[in-house]
Amino acid sequence: MKAKDLMVPLQEYLTPDHSLKAAANLLRIARRGEEKIGVKALPVLDSKGKLIGILSIGDILKAVYPKYMYLMDLGSFTWDGMVEALAQKMADRKVRDLMTRIVITVKEDSPLMECIDHMLKNNVKRVPVLNKDNRVIGMLYERDVFYYITEFMSNSTSAVRDNE
Amino acid sequence: MNETFASTQPFVMDTAFWTATAIFIIAYIIIISEKVHKTVVAIFAASLMIMLKILEQHEAFHVEELGVDWNVIFLLISMMVIINLMRPSGIFEYIAIKSAKLGKGEPFRIMAIFAVVVAVLSALLDNVTTVLLITPVTLFIADALEIDPIPYLLSCALASNIGGTATLIGDPPNIMIASKASLTFMDFIYHLAPIVIVLMGIYLLIIKLLWGRKLGTKDMLKKRIMEMDEREAIKDPVMLKKSLFVLALVLTGFVFHGILHLQPATIALFGAGLLLLLSKTHEPHHILAEVEWPTIFFFIGLFIIVGGIAKVGLIKLMSLQMLDLTQGNMFATSMVIIWFSAFASAIVDNIPYVATMNPLVIDMAKQLWPNLSGLQLLHHPDLMPVWWSLALGACLGGNGSAIGASANVIVIGISEKAGNKISFIKFMAYGMPIMIMTVAISTVYVWLRYYVMKI
Repeated sequence: MKAKDLMVPLQEYLTPDHSLKAAANLLRIARRGEEKIGVKALPVLDSKGKLIGILSIGDILKAVYPKYMYLMDLGSFTWDGMVEALAQKMADRKVRDLMTRIVITVKEDSPLMECIDHMLKNNVKRVPVLNKDNRVIGMLYERDVFYYITEFMSNSTSAVRDNE
Repeated sequence: MNETFASTQPFVMDTAFWTATAIFIIAYIIIISEKVHKTVVAIFAASLMIMLKILEQHEAFHVEELGVDWNVIFLLISMMVIINLMRPSGIFEYIAIKSAKLGKGEPFRIMAIFAVVVAVLSALLDNVTTVLLITPVTLFIADALEIDPIPYLLSCALASNIGGTATLIGDPPNIMIASKASLTFMDFIYHLAPIVIVLMGIYLLIIKLLWGRKLGTKDMLKKRIMEMDEREAIKDPVMLKKSLFVLALVLTGFVFHGILHLQPATIALFGAGLLLLLSKTHEPHHILAEVEWPTIFFFIGLFIIVGGIAKVGLIKLMSLQMLDLTQGNMFATSMVIIWFSAFASAIVDNIPYVATMNPLVIDMAKQLWPNLSGLQLLHHPDLMPVWWSLALGACLGGNGSAIGASANVIVIGISEKAGNKISFIKFMAYGMPIMIMTVAISTVYVWLRYYVMKI
């Protein structure tokens, strides 16, 4: 099994000029038509289609989390309504300011174990899949790797390769 | 070593002189330009001083007059270790939330209380640590009250530089001056704390005039502050008690270090060792890794760079210029030093500035009193006001610009990350007038106390 066989082909992606509001909406409705819609991250491509970052739901959480809270232990003093106020304040910020710029990627022909290796060592849950020209052709999500693995677990007595 | 001989020996402007001077000037220019990290510049320039044989390695590492001042290094490291061990107990969050509640949610009251807390903490710890602990809470409180955090941040940075001036351990320039001039913790309390208290009082009046009326909030939002329970901040009450015990011990040790004939660094190192022991940590690696090593190496590098220019005679040349300018009049010298230090510290980081000025002042003293040495020379009654002028100018000068003191750099950095940019000009618009005001008052103080009343 290779990265390209398990990835979701690129349909939705973000641009650096998307507002957070628009980006969050795309994250919510991506993969529609499937059993569980929504994705946890989308790649950010510039106007030439080059991969320049990734925006995950973690980045959205970070967007409403004040940076100064990393520095001191203030969690137990927060008030009701704090998240809501910051969410409204951040809604029009641009994706470019909040995306993660260093992106872990895999090649389309990377074996699945290499993909898992990248995911675990870099602690990422999804990786963009690149073709030979370094263009993003799809996204490989932890969830899909999980489904694939569990298929083998539940059929551990027989080979299921042909079912794929 | 015959020091008087060394100081009367004529210097020659040979290759070594020009090499050392070039390394010094280029290094300081790059540090000011911020093109390369200051610590990297300092380490590389220091290594050049030794590589090019301007200083022998032995001189750089082991000779007090020319090399690294380990008294300063160990005092800084030890205080950082103590604070790193204290932090997880939640004591600083407790102090900050308690202060905000004392302000009853009133924006200006909170600002004034924070300024005082920052000044006191800066005097007892150091400015950088203090603002690192208080700035995040300031932003937090401003969010709770839905007010502009920038006046609070500016006020904290400025108060920290004023407060830090009061004690030996309050600000790096004082630590360096104390070590080179063999001054005790109580010397600083006796000579600098009184004027700093006056300056703080005036500072509070000024911020009242500047921001007192502009800051307002809704009663509903004040409730957010009043509902916070500061006791929840205490994560580790046992460690808190141990830390406070050790801190009290260290501060008492500082008060009596002169009488006990123990250097401040010894006291601080003892405190760090004791608290490490009491914390029962099996992972000192973590605590030690959190020491601000870039700052420590910045000091190490600067000491060696300055050692190099001292050895080739550049410092002496500069001190002769100074004597020429003031004609050996000590009152004029104090005045020149306090104002020059203030503006120089606003432009350059005050740490490299004081590292250069210390040997210069000592060399000047040697020219004036060639027959004296040791404490008789360093504590000559006519020289003492010069040391205090240097400390006041260098510490208070830190307020003059955004890069004048490390505390400012930290506040501006945290503030920018949180989305509130404080521009260089904006900082200066508040910092420079405050600097001029505090230095002017200090000038009057030095004049009155040491030249009129002579106490």
